[in-house]
Order: sequence, then structure tokens, then C-alpha cells
Amino acid sequence: MKKYNYITIGLLLFTFLVSSCVEDLPTKYDFTGYQYSNLDANAGQWKLILHTSNEQISIPNPAAAGSPELLKELADAKEIQKKATSAQREAVGYWTNNPLLRWNEIALELATKYNLIPAPNPDGTYPVPDAANPSKYPKFPYSHPPYTSRMLAHLSVAQYDGLIMAWQYKYKFKRQAPYQLDPQIKSSYENNGLFSYPSDGAVIAKASQDILTAMFPLEKEFLAQKAQEHLESLIVAGINVSSDVEAGKLIGTEVAKTALARASTDGMKNAQTTRAKSDSIKNAAKERFGWVWENQETPQRSVGLVPLFGKVRLWNVPNVEAIRPGPPPAPNSPEFQKDAAELKQYANNLTINQRRIANFWNDGLNTYTPPGHWNRFAKEEVVANKLSPVRTARVFAYLNMAIADAGIACWDAKYYYHYPRPIQTIPGFKTILGTPNFPAYTSGHASFSAAAAEVMAHFFPANAGQFRTWAEEASMSRIYGGIHYSFDATAGLTQGRQAAAYSIAMAKLDGAD
Amino acid sequence: MKNHFRFLGLLCASLGILTIAHAQTPLDGLMMPKGEICIALQYEQVTWDRYWEGSTIRVNQNIGTFTKQMGMPMIVGGITDKVNVILSLPYVKTAASAGQMAGVQGIQDLGISVKALFLEKTIGKGKLTGFSNLSFSTPASNYLSDYMPFSLGLGANELGIRAIGKYELNKGPYVRASYAYLNRGTTNAEREYYYANGSVYSSTMNVPDAFQSQLTLGSWLFNYRLRVEASLTTIRSASGDDIRTYCMPLPTNKVDFDRIEGFAQYYFKSGGKGLGLIASYQQAISGRNMGQFSGYGLGITYQFKAF
Repeated sequence: MKKYNYITIGLLLFTFLVSSCVEDLPTKYDFTGYQYSNLDANAGQWKLILHTSNEQISIPNPAAAGSPELLKELADAKEIQKKATSAQREAVGYWTNNPLLRWNEIALELATKYNLIPAPNPDGTYPVPDAANPSKYPKFPYSHPPYTSRMLAHLSVAQYDGLIMAWQYKYKFKRQAPYQLDPQIKSSYENNGLFSYPSDGAVIAKASQDILTAMFPLEKEFLAQKAQEHLESLIVAGINVSSDVEAGKLIGTEVAKTALARASTDGMKNAQTTRAKSDSIKNAAKERFGWVWENQETPQRSVGLVPLFGKVRLWNVPNVEAIRPGPPPAPNSPEFQKDAAELKQYANNLTINQRRIANFWNDGLNTYTPPGHWNRFAKEEVVANKLSPVRTARVFAYLNMAIADAGIACWDAKYYYHYPRPIQTIPGFKTILGTPNFPAYTSGHASFSAAAAEVMAHFFPANAGQFRTWAEEASMSRIYGGIHYSFDATAGLTQGRQAAAYSIAMAKLDGAD
Repeated sequence: MKNHFRFLGLLCASLGILTIAHAQTPLDGLMMPKGEICIALQYEQVTWDRYWEGSTIRVNQNIGTFTKQMGMPMIVGGITDKVNVILSLPYVKTAASAGQMAGVQGIQDLGISVKALFLEKTIGKGKLTGFSNLSFSTPASNYLSDYMPFSLGLGANELGIRAIGKYELNKGPYVRASYAYLNRGTTNAEREYYYANGSVYSSTMNVPDAFQSQLTLGSWLFNYRLRVEASLTTIRSASGDDIRTYCMPLPTNKVDFDRIEGFAQYYFKSGGKGLGLIASYQQAISGRNMGQFSGYGLGITYQFKAF
């Protein structure tokens, strides 16, 4: 009898345990469509970034309200809405009426997926990703922070120029949305009253698909499927008819081409150098300053990460020399000794909060990198402020141009000064974060974060203090983690702020404020 | 009479071999009589210089030889003749022989376990016994689990339910089999985004549940003063992702392994009371998302009648 009691208790417990297994965790930012705080009716007049005219990409004149063509499209839209599958309705909820945020999220996920450092070959050399053969190990791209910053800048700028043009045509043609033209069509989102021709969602879908496909060629099918789902959702949601979508696709396709043409000649393809070029850069620094950074891994990586990223074309900063900091203190100078002592002090007495900060901002391999981290903050801020799609695109465009410029300038300093990392200069030094494969001065985290924080502070002044605090925390995180000296962080913060100032100056003159 | 002192011996025998990956869960088919207490102090060390990244073996010269050491005080008490309680609190230290990543040390997880004898039957020239075991462990310090492979443990609560069956011949040899379901909770990272077959926007990490089975052949020798065992243990995670190429492991990983072990326990006094010594050796023979470990354990036990 007793035996059966045990078995019963055991079974009950087992059932309870199995049922309480895995917690559902968020795989995306949880938000829904919303009422835009402002439709930004004059956004068609805002200053473009890569294009010269707001009608540079032409689209057909739309069929007039009441015309047979449009009535047919409305009838089709109604049918599509009626027949929508549950998956299509779910897609409407997912994409929202500010779908740029979802494409940005997809970009961050791909950045993470491809942020894997090449492992050594059996002979101790390291393979390099090959854009011409992307599926061969190591897969192309290696989406490290410089690559990710550049990817996000091109994505955001294409989206922004595309939406400025979309707004130009929306307010030129003033075609009402399906839910306004036909009372039987319901909008799945708030009735914002935004004109529907061309579809801003389609501009975003197509521009994002094409930019991301070029940046992550192995994801071509995944991105095509995402774009298809997004484009379908625009009609299912009742906010567009098919001609809206087609016109939006035209603009999206063309702005992506312009942005990708820029990307193809920006110098990125030369950023990862040969061993010989890398050695000559190293020797130049040695002659100039007397010190040199060496990778400390085993086997040693003979070439650092993208030594010529500092030569990549800038967005708004005139040249890297304009914001190149002065030299760091020489190893073993009193100033160096002071910061090295600080590192040892943190390593031996790290508080839980300092450890938390180091890990919170680490954003290393297999993550969306610091540029991705700041894009995430921007997304949350956009939703909190209920920005329109075009004003959202503006935030991301200036944010990501500033971040990319800060990265380029930072990389220039890194390889110009070629300064050794703490694990190289301090004997026996151990760290809680992995030391990256590039020189120390200036700190990339500090530079990226200060640039991002300044742009965010410009667009969202109510939280300016918070953003700047975060940037300082991000810069400190590398010191707590043992991979940067204090002088790297200080110089990086300054450099990032200076880089951002150029983008902010452009934003101030773009007609949006 | 023989049966009685078998029980005595069992108590400290219950300590068995530890799984270094997390706090020990008592697996063996032994039971201490009411009022007996066994105190044990065990030391275990495992090392590996290769690990399975998914199911592919990886050598990483920036780790060199990885060493995990564990010192564990443990108490086993007989509440009744058929119910034992086991408490453990390991102290763990990790280090790598190469590279610049800092090792860590500290108190790992507090383990509490209750083992009950529910079946005892003489069959032929031996005896069949059945036990059930419910175990719970919880992190006993604020160690960071998202710092693998150096982290002290998985940083998650674990509730285990286990069935153990044993058939022992009167002359001493025995065979034992156990099967367990280990339900793990979540652990907290210090970042709010990570990748586990896709984006996760949370600092919470799901630690996969696991199934553990063990088959043991053993025998009592020298008039029940020495016990020797050989066993095969398998761990299979119920879910989880693989370590990504050349990346750090995560607590979310699907960890599987098969391990062989040898174990011996010697009692200075026949009957189990007083001092005993434990020695063990273990080696992973296959695995997924973990080090290809091998190691040994040493322990001292002291058993006495407390009430």
C-alpha cells in the first residue's frame, strides 16, 4: 500500500515538474502599432542624405479616388482582408505601423548571428571571410562592431531617404487610405489618417530587404520571406492597396541601390588587410611612438581586426584627423602607471555592481555589438515618443551615421597609435572580459557610445542626462572588465562626442525641427 | 545482522561520486538507520584540455588545461530507518592554464535531498531494494553563471526526482540502476540580450532540464569493509542550443555526456561506524557542449550514532 503512495506522489510531482519547464522569453521588443504623435506633413521637404531631390525616384501618378482601377483595388483589398489566415493576421500585429523598428531588429539579430570570430586553422593560421564565397568557413560577413556600424548606417540612411520621398508623394497626391475610402475596410492600427500613396511600409520593406541582403548574402531567402510577409501585411492591415505597395517598392528598390553603390566604394573591402600591410602599419607606429600592440591569443592573430577601417568613407565628419586625439601616455610613464594601477585595483576588488556594468555593456562576440545596443535604446525611445515612421527614420539615420563616423575615427586612432592592451603591458594580468583583436587607444565602446548618446540627447532632450550617463557607464565597463585603460575611455568619449557634433549639425539644418 | 550493518555502511556510502557540473545528487542505493549521522568532506578535481563545441571536439590554446576543483562538506542523516536527509554545500574553484581570462572561486549550490526506501524484498540469494529520491539545489552565493566555462555552476534552482533500484547478493556483489529527471529553473545573466538560436531580449536564461541515468556494478569485499563500484552515467538535456563556433558556452546550452567512473570506499571498522575513506576516478567518454573531462575524488567520512 505504502509503495503505491510513493508512486502516486512521485507521479504527481513529475507532472508538476514537467509542466513548469521552460519560461517563454521575449524574442523581440514588445510593442504594438500606435497613434503617431505627429504626421510630419512637411517631411517631404526635409533634407535628403544620399539623394538630391525628393522626387528623384519617380513613381506613376496614382489612380484617382472613385476610379474603376482604385475601386477594383479596394475590392481586392477587402477580399484579402476577409480571407487572411491567422498567420497573416499575426504578421500584421508583428510588423506594426512603424515597421522600420522591426527591420532594425532583424538587422541586429543578423549582426549577432554573424558576429563570430574566425577560429584558427590546424596549422595555426587564421582564415578570413570571403565576400565572393560567403558560405565557406568563416562565413561572410564577420559582423564585428565596425561592420555592424556601417551596415546600420547604410540601412538607416536608405530608409530615411526613401521615407522623405514617400512623404513628398503622399502629400503631393493626397490619396486617402483604404480604411478612409471604403467604410468596410478596417485598419488594424490606429487610424492615423496618413495618406497611403506610396506605401511607406513598402518603401521600408524593400529598402531593408535589399540592403540587408547585400550585407548578409547568406540570408537572402530569409529576408525575401520576411519582406513578402511584411508587404502582404500592409494590405491585410487595411492601410494600403496594391498600387500603394507597388509604388513604395519602386522607391525602396532605388534608394537601396543608391546606398549600396555608396557602400561598394566606401573602402570597407580593403579594411581587412594582408599581413604585409598590417606589419607596415605596425612598424610605422613603432617608429613614431616606440610601442606597438600585439595580439595575445594563441595561436597569435597576425593581423588585427580591420586595420584600415579608419580609411573608410565618413558620413559627416570631414576627415579622421579632425577628431584624432593626441597620443596616449607612453607605457611605463607615470600617467600610464597610474591607470595600470587602477586596473589592477579593480581586478582584485571588483564589486558586484562593477561586474554587472562590465557584463551589461560587454556586447562582444555573438551579440549585436555596442552600435546594436544603442539602436535598441533608440527603438524604445521612438515608441515611447510615438514618432511617425519618417521621424523614426531620421533618428536612426543620424544616430547610425554618427556611430559609424565615431567608429571610423576610433579605428583610425587605434591603428595610428597602435597602443598595447593591458594584458600585454601588465605581466600576469587576468580579465573577466575577452580582450578584442585590435589596439587599445581609443576605446571603441566609449567612442560609439558617446556619439550615440549625443545624437539621442539631441533628439530626445528630456532623457539627455540618462543617455550621457549610459555612455560614461559603457566607457567605464571596459576598465572594470580589464581591457581598457582609463585614458582610452576618456579619449574615446571625447572622440565620440566630436564625431556626433557633425551629424547633429547636419540634423539641425535639415528642416525637420 | 548482516543486513543491519549493511545499512550502516551504506550511509557514508551514499556519498558516491559527484557530478562536477553541479551539486551532488545522491544516487546510490544505500540507507542509514535512524539516528545515524555521517559527515563527509570530499575533494574532487576534474580537468580537460578539449571540449565539445556542439558535438565537434575543439582545442582552444587560450584555455590550455581547464581545471575545476571542488571541496564539499556533506551531512547525511537517518531521520528514520527508511528516510535519509542529505545536505551538501560545495566550494568550487576554476582556472585555465593559458589565456588571460580570470578564474573564479566561491560557494556554489546548497543541496538538500531526501531519500526514501520504498521496497525491500528478498529474492533468491539476494535482496531487491527500491528508493526514491527528491533533491533540490539552489545557488548559495551570487556567482555569475553566464561566465562559462569558468562559472561556478548553472546558477539555477534544480529539482530532481529519482528512482533507484538495486539487487544485491548476500555474498556482496550488487547491481544498481537509477533514473532521474532534473528540472532546472532559470538563471540571470548580467546583460539584457543574448543569442540562443535567435534573439532573446531578456537577462533570464532558461537552463535546460536533463535526464540522468546510471548503471552500476559493485561489490562489498573484506567482510563489508571495502566497497568497489564501476558505473556508467549518462546525462541528456531535454532542450538547449549548441555552443557557437569559437564562442563561450552559455547556461542555455544542451549539455549531454556519458561518463565512466570507478569508486572505492573503505571503512576502518567493520560495520561502518567511525572513519572511512573514499576514492574515485571519472572520465567522460562522449559529450556535447562540455569539456572532455577526467578527474579524481578523495574523501573522508565519519559516521556516528547521534540519537
